Amino acid sequence: MLKLIIIAFLFTNFHTKTTNGAIINKNVERVIDLSTQLVKISSAITLENTGKDAESKYIITLEPNSIRNLSFISAKDSYKEELKVTETKNELGQVFSVKLNHPLAASRTSTINVEFVLTNSLVPYPSSIVQKDKQLVRYFGNHYFYSPYLTTKQTTSVIVNTRSIENYSKLKPVSQSDSSITYGPYNDVAALTVDPMIVHFENNAPFLSVTRLERLIEVSHWGNIAVEENIDILHTGAKLKGSFSRYDYQRDTSNNHHSIKSYKTILPAAAHSVYYRDSNGNISTSQVRARKDWIELELRPRYPLFGGWRSSYMLGYSVPSYQYLYKGVNNQYALRMRLIDNVFDDMHVEYLETSVVLPVGVTNVKLSTPYEVERLSDSIAYKYLDTKGRPIIRFAKRNLVEQHIQDLEITYEWQPLLLLHEPVLLSIALYLLFIVVIIYVRLDFSISKPEHVKTQ
Amino acid sequence: MLKINTKTGLSSLIIFTVLLLAWVAGFSSRLFAVIRFESIIHEFDPWFNYRATAYMVENGFYKFLNWFDERAWYPLGRIVGGTVYPGLMITSGSIHYILHLLNIDIHIRDICVFLAPVFSGLTAISTYLLTKELWSAGAGLFAACFIAIVPGYISRSVAGSYDNEGIAIFALQFTYFLWLKSVKTGSIFWACMTALSYFYMVSAWGGYVFIINLIPLHVFVLLLMGRYSNRLFTSYTTFYILGLLLSMQIPFVGFQPIRTSEHMAASGVFALIIAVAALKYLQTMLSKSEFKSLFIVGALVAAAVVFLAVVVLTYAGYIAPWSGRFYSLWDTGYAKIHIPIIASVSEHQPTTWFSFFFDLHVLVTTFPAGLWYCIKNINDERVFVVLYALSAVYFAGVMVRLMLTLTPVVCMLSGVAFSVLLDLFLREEDTHRSGDSDVDDEQTTSSNRRLYDKAGRVPKMKHEQVRESDGIGANIRSIIIVVMLLLLMLFAVHCTWVTSNAYSSPSIVLASYGNDGSRQILDDFREAYYWLSQNTDDNARVMSWWDYGYQIAGMANRTTLVDNNTWNNSHIALVGKAMSSNESAAYDIMTSLDVDYVLVIFGGVIGYSGDDINKFLWMVRIAEGEHPKDIREGDYFTEHGEFRVDSEGSPTLLNCLMYKLSYYRFGELKLDYRSPSGFDRTRGAVIGNKDFTLTYLEEAYTTEHWLVRIYRVKKPHEFNRPRIPFSNRVVKSQSFISKKNTKRKKGTIKNKPVIVKGKKLLKQA
Repeated sequence: MLKLIIIAFLFTNFHTKTTNGAIINKNVERVIDLSTQLVKISSAITLENTGKDAESKYIITLEPNSIRNLSFISAKDSYKEELKVTETKNELGQVFSVKLNHPLAASRTSTINVEFVLTNSLVPYPSSIVQKDKQLVRYFGNHYFYSPYLTTKQTTSVIVNTRSIENYSKLKPVSQSDSSITYGPYNDVAALTVDPMIVHFENNAPFLSVTRLERLIEVSHWGNIAVEENIDILHTGAKLKGSFSRYDYQRDTSNNHHSIKSYKTILPAAAHSVYYRDSNGNISTSQVRARKDWIELELRPRYPLFGGWRSSYMLGYSVPSYQYLYKGVNNQYALRMRLIDNVFDDMHVEYLETSVVLPVGVTNVKLSTPYEVERLSDSIAYKYLDTKGRPIIRFAKRNLVEQHIQDLEITYEWQPLLLLHEPVLLSIALYLLFIVVIIYVRLDFSISKPEHVKTQ
Repeated sequence: MLKINTKTGLSSLIIFTVLLLAWVAGFSSRLFAVIRFESIIHEFDPWFNYRATAYMVENGFYKFLNWFDERAWYPLGRIVGGTVYPGLMITSGSIHYILHLLNIDIHIRDICVFLAPVFSGLTAISTYLLTKELWSAGAGLFAACFIAIVPGYISRSVAGSYDNEGIAIFALQFTYFLWLKSVKTGSIFWACMTALSYFYMVSAWGGYVFIINLIPLHVFVLLLMGRYSNRLFTSYTTFYILGLLLSMQIPFVGFQPIRTSEHMAASGVFALIIAVAALKYLQTMLSKSEFKSLFIVGALVAAAVVFLAVVVLTYAGYIAPWSGRFYSLWDTGYAKIHIPIIASVSEHQPTTWFSFFFDLHVLVTTFPAGLWYCIKNINDERVFVVLYALSAVYFAGVMVRLMLTLTPVVCMLSGVAFSVLLDLFLREEDTHRSGDSDVDDEQTTSSNRRLYDKAGRVPKMKHEQVRESDGIGANIRSIIIVVMLLLLMLFAVHCTWVTSNAYSSPSIVLASYGNDGSRQILDDFREAYYWLSQNTDDNARVMSWWDYGYQIAGMANRTTLVDNNTWNNSHIALVGKAMSSNESAAYDIMTSLDVDYVLVIFGGVIGYSGDDINKFLWMVRIAEGEHPKDIREGDYFTEHGEFRVDSEGSPTLLNCLMYKLSYYRFGELKLDYRSPSGFDRTRGAVIGNKDFTLTYLEEAYTTEHWLVRIYRVKKPHEFNRPRIPFSNRVVKSQSFISKKNTKRKKGTIKNKPVIVKGKKLLKQA
């Protein structure tokens, strides 16, 4: 422990030059929410500029072992305005620099709120349990706020939403209340200090992750946008050991169980023609409820999911295009749709691949996304009677959570006359067919008259 | 000239419209299952056909022909390409191909689901053509309408029932139409078309044997009746040779057409017609007495040679004797004794009278009338339909399944009957006065009015001429027409009702109706299969009774031991033996077969009667057939010879694997508060063996309504071995006292053979 601190100190001394050492964290109030499968850390940081010059940049970072689990980061100032976060690399590894909206003048204070969402950070322990056991998980964290600046005062509260806590690391002062543990206040913690925190507790929230989500958006200028999602899900909680007994499962009526019976998906309010199926056909156990501003879909997989069990399904629906497709001047069109949509609350998507099928004959396609995505090579799809293919814009991203539900925008140019292309084609084909039939019926192609006709 | 043109135009418009409507009606009345449930493949065999089609679409036709399916019949595997009639797959595969050329990307499953309804329209058209050849266009329209909606055919061709029969009935009717056409015209063109259509039929269904026996029979009977003509000679010889060569192109058929007894009739008739033709030719050259003696000698020699050749070839093994399935057509008790696996299929049971009416309704009564008209006005084509009718009636009586081949001929002949009746009663008074007015009277005359009936006009019989004097009043006419229309209407209502209630259940999705009419869907099969597909190892081997083999392969994509292609009886018997032995004996069989999971169907919770316990006696019988020492059917009955699962049941039954897997932990379950725990709803009894545990298996998954139960077979190190008392825990070693001592330094080797010089070493047994 001491060694760590010394090392940390060494690092601090070495690195203070790279960060602007004039800033200190005057007060940090950190909340670590462990009640779901995700780890949501929100920190309210009061900064003070002890230097002489105004500062407009603040560096935030995460412990080296949790930065690879980071899925989402955002920062807001005290007026709840979004601050720009850019990812950079320096000697500390991966860091995020926040651009303050108003430069912080010397010896002034300001407050910012930073939110992290981490995935895969709650480890089931024991890693496999029998059907009637409770699911216990462990969280490995840091007692201190990890920051490249000196932190004067800090408190951390860990929300676990359960009273059955097996064990937690006790760095005094610490107190446990109904559903949370409070650490601190700790004073004058040096920069980049790590002191391992362990919380071992019961967590029966659904541990469900989407291992692969393929989202296909098909734009038709006839007034419809079809969305289809191919979803592979996996229960990432403690694995089921031994047998599954339907009898015990039917008798256990408590809701607080580590298996997942059903979950809710939220669709846009205008969604219609919803289907929920898999490779064996329709999954008959689903319910659609129309709420005021959205459509709630209660999905039940064919079987309850236990730890380590997987399932996959296909969910599709249509929305009217007037809500998402905008027309500009000179046959310019813009499509604004969600890049990823809700699968279930507190979702975790490991891999997303979104494809957007544009109408035949679009040109000058431009894609803009709210965050960085990996652009895959475009391809071409042929739909009903197409002679010329439709371009598909494809991109992918890993490790997504709810906060990533944002709009993408695709702009393109397109001639409305192309809409008539296929009806005209079809009419011509039918016309030709009838002409051929007429000609065939009127003419006699036989070389000689058949015998039985002749004899008559 | 113009007038005739408009008249033919009008009639062809009517024909076109009626056929179109028949098509639409036939198509839409087959959609009950799709509307009530979804677009899904039904039952058992269609799942294999679908899987094979999907494989072909994905991998191409040649890959399909060479497909060795290692996921079936573990550890034997199955050569699918060579053991399947590929017509069905090729048909839907080529439709898929054409649609995709037009960029209509319809899923192959939907093509498979809707193939049979679409083909029902083609069947209606070919039935129209065939009946038109036989009788008249009006009769043809009747027949087309009948076959479009008749339940006997719908039972095999509803949407989702993706089976060979769906397209084979079309091929059958179309081949017969082309055959009649070629007999009528004597043109090589039509005979070639017949052969091609026959080729399609061979590629589609094993029932092609019906064609290759019926057409020779037709020729033979025509020869007997002295109706030999050059037209017949041309069409049969062309058809036979081409058809023979073409049918041998199907890998599954191969050399069967020249090596099995089922096909020998055709070649015999081929030899016969050539002999007859030769004689006819000689007749023109020789004098009468010379010809007579030549004929007798020649006929006798030819018959003897053919007969001897067939017998000798059969004994020598060049021609296979009739197969078991074929024997069971002649002797209904044969299968029950010799091949329980054939008898265990419900569709191989003899038909009940009830199902004749259920499947054909009013047609079953009008069909003899039509047959009578055909016999009375006999000609070459009508000989054919008479033979068709008689043989089909016989086969339909033997096997429920062959109701399917009877249905088209019943529709055709009923069409004839109705058309004659309408002709009679809608015709104006002045043309002709004809006989009795009773609808049901089969002897209603058709008189000689049919001028288009060229051949075989039969002179009037006496009793008919007597009746002809009294006319039919307008009232009687209208009453009879109304009654007839009423009958037809009832027929349509009945067809719709039967289709909707009896033949439109996908059987992998069950629906139950609550007291308030609300519908509850029981989706347990797909639940279990999907669980298997997602949560077991990709190479896991699943043991189940053969009924579920195709479904497991199709929906769960897992290796099965036995499936609905029941080609290996002893393998099935081994599975039956495992199911009917006790747990430890079954474990030995299961480990020797590398089984990972066992799947059983159990209907006791919801009262589903088609479950494995109800099929269990067949498993015992089939197992007994191969392993009579280990399994005896008698052990599974009580002393009074009853099959009971309650506490009275035989101890062998209460401890066998199937019983344990079905009822594991069921004894604790109380279905409702009135019945005691462990009450089996299907058999209406409280189970006899309630409290037991499984040693060698563990419950892996059970579906929501307990319909499908899947167990995992434990690996040898996993289960608890029986506890051995401490005193018995000694490592047994063969005590061996060394014979070495100070004097004898030489050691000995145990069991060393004693070698005596000059003698050969005997092998130790």
